[in-house]
Amino acid sequence: MGATPPLLAFANVVKRRWDGARAMAVLDGVSFEIDDGAFVGLYGSRRSGKSTLLRMAAGLTLADEGSVRIDGQDLAKLAAPKRARLLRGTVGLVSADAFSPRPREDVIEYLTLALGSAGLTAGEARRRAYAALDEVGMAAVGLEATAALPVVERMGVMLARALLFDPRLLLVDEPAVIPSIGGREQFGALLHRLGQERKLAVLLASEELIALQGAVVTMSIGAGEVTSSDDTGVVVPFPGRGFQAVQRSAL
Amino acid sequence: MQGASSPLRGALLGLLLERPGHGGDLASRLSRRLGESWQIDPTDVYRLLSGLEHEGLVRECEDPQASSARGRVVYHPTDQTAGALTLWLETLLPAEPMRSALHAKLAAARGEADARLLDRALRVHEQECLQMVALLPPMSGGAGSWKDLFLTCLRSGVSARLQAEIDWSRQTRMRLAEFSGSR
Repeated sequence: MGATPPLLAFANVVKRRWDGARAMAVLDGVSFEIDDGAFVGLYGSRRSGKSTLLRMAAGLTLADEGSVRIDGQDLAKLAAPKRARLLRGTVGLVSADAFSPRPREDVIEYLTLALGSAGLTAGEARRRAYAALDEVGMAAVGLEATAALPVVERMGVMLARALLFDPRLLLVDEPAVIPSIGGREQFGALLHRLGQERKLAVLLASEELIALQGAVVTMSIGAGEVTSSDDTGVVVPFPGRGFQAVQRSAL
Repeated sequence: MQGASSPLRGALLGLLLERPGHGGDLASRLSRRLGESWQIDPTDVYRLLSGLEHEGLVRECEDPQASSARGRVVYHPTDQTAGALTLWLETLLPAEPMRSALHAKLAAARGEADARLLDRALRVHEQECLQMVALLPPMSGGAGSWKDLFLTCLRSGVSARLQAEIDWSRQTRMRLAEFSGSR
């Protein structure tokens, strides 16, 4: 490992869930690293552990064994407030499941509420919310009711919400929830554009392999294991783009 | 011997249409174009060329400037070659034999050691599929032209096939593990 630790590092991560009285390993010794600016795809069928992996990277679930590190800091070893501070300015999770609209709330209210009391005036908060919406090409839905948004726009609003905090890593869970093929492709193209413009690392998980095209490293997950296109170092994809990600071992 | 969907035959038609050539020249162009892993055998290329001549897709001409006494044969496309190439491109529904080698090994496997070897082979296969996905360009976010649409559809076909390969490979490995564990 060099002087600067990777942005995100999983090392021998084990996560179990209970199936009756039996423990099943959702993740069974998963290791990989993602550096700043890397666009990484994660393919896995339903219930393969994709969301669990993303939730662990977002610090919402902690590892049973092994470590999940952001900038070299083991999430499980940080006190909750410190962990929340570290994650807030670093990692953004985009998932249709995490969208929780309130009654009679419009999109701008939803976003300004997410910004919270970060010492901002109401006007400044609204300006930031509009800027984030604009960046995902959705300024027009600012006054729409969140509860009535179609899925494709929910994903866009979640993306804008993540951008409010200038993250360095975007975790995107399942664009396949977007019903139209065109909508999914536009969302994918948007992620690539944001990744390049903001020099963001992106970890994009989907049950559709096609959603991962254009990723510099692709990984697949199933039966608790992660396999990576970059496992053996045989492939050095698209040199010169400045993206790196390594997957150390599948076992 | 070689079916109409044979990849070598199709690629040969394409090269002939680019420009005529001697058998040896065509063999080396095939080899350069397709890569070392195809291990192009000039004998196969000559056999394919004579088959194509029977079908009327290739015409043999003597090269007047040939250095050797017997005169070397130069192969030219005919007016049917382009149509045959189009047909081959259109009917390209590759039942690629990626799996068949693994199927054959699976059929012959016995015992724990073989299961471990197969597991390793399947991992490598899965990784190769992931590497191919990593070679696809990012989505453009909408088809602006027919050509865009065509390319998008083509890539979607490639990724659908790779997805099926990865799923099969994973499931086979899980089956192998469960089978080994239960004995």
